[in-house]
Amino acid sequence: MRFRFCGDLDCPDWVLAEISTLARISSVKMKLLCVQVIKDLLDEGIDYDKVSKLTSDAKFESGDIKASIAVLSFILASAAKHDVDSESLSSELQQLGLPKEHTTGLCKSYEEKHIALQEKLRESSLRLGRLEAVNWRVDYTLSSSELKQVNEPTVQLRLQAQDPETDSTQTTTVSITADKFRVLLTELKQAQTMMNALQ
Amino acid sequence: MLLVLSEEHKEHLGFLSEVDPAVVGEFGRIAVEFLKKGSNPKIYEGAARKLNVSSESIQHGVEGLMYLLTESSKLMISEVDFQDSVLVLGFSEELNKLLLQLYLENRKEIRQILSKLGPSLPHYHNLEWRLDVQLASRALRHQVKPTVTLKLHLEDGAKRSAHVLQTDPATLQHLIHELERALTELKSSHCRRILRNIK
Repeated sequence: MRFRFCGDLDCPDWVLAEISTLARISSVKMKLLCVQVIKDLLDEGIDYDKVSKLTSDAKFESGDIKASIAVLSFILASAAKHDVDSESLSSELQQLGLPKEHTTGLCKSYEEKHIALQEKLRESSLRLGRLEAVNWRVDYTLSSSELKQVNEPTVQLRLQAQDPETDSTQTTTVSITADKFRVLLTELKQAQTMMNALQ
Repeated sequence: MLLVLSEEHKEHLGFLSEVDPAVVGEFGRIAVEFLKKGSNPKIYEGAARKLNVSSESIQHGVEGLMYLLTESSKLMISEVDFQDSVLVLGFSEELNKLLLQLYLENRKEIRQILSKLGPSLPHYHNLEWRLDVQLASRALRHQVKPTVTLKLHLEDGAKRSAHVLQTDPATLQHLIHELERALTELKSSHCRRILRNIK
């Protein structure tokens, strides 16, 4: 059976198994659990004390608590990833056996936050070597050991970028003459026009 | 298979026959704790004061017990062999039974800890990917070139490393095909025969 929220693939077996675990807590508590899980997905921190209080009525063991957080994270992140609207999500979850009240609670939380979730997922997408800072300085060389009157402007550029493999910041400093810098600027402006045309 | 204990080892364990069996039980428990979490020298001081002996003999006794347990678990010796090996030390019947009990209860866990100590290769930790399309470069405009960028995270003990790879979709298809062939190899009759015999 193909499900849109799983990206048009079969639903994983563990999700099917844990949906029945989710059905054991009341729908109100499940909505509050969803709110906590969404906070965790948005990196706002999850309050494990609240979670254990919510699940204590249904006598969840620590394994069950972990499983229900995992399955809610999977459903919400997957639905945001594949840009599923909340009605399709609701019907698909009911097909999988999640009771109607639980599904409505979950879908309401999803609908409120799905744009924020997609933004967070977009930010955490793979990006290699992010540029962190650019500093520049214009100097004017008066004379040097080779030539008495140099009178040439130069630009010093300091780029701080993230190394793609180690994720640490690497600093590169270059000094550019006026002509080379003009070429660099023109080429980069052409690239910028192309990027703006695409947006 | 009998365990051969060195003279020094026998001397260290000889200390255990001078104390109560209850104390030996306590030492056994401390030895197992140390095997799981690492040794804590402060415990030796406390025990030395209570029993009125030097902390060095306590340390030797506990470490002797640890070594006895790890060697027996490593070689997975049977009960009879363990009892015969321990007979050499000349302990009382009660002490022998206590040591046997200690060995049998903790054997599985000690073996699990020992299995993690072997040398290992870096293994898979996480894979991030991204699909891009190159539209233009400084040299050529109006291109359409899809590429897949992968960041493979590997873990080797405590060290994490990341490798950045890039491929075009055709190579990726070939890679997937080869990996699927490797997986189906597991289901071939030759592999299944070997797996059945190991289990």
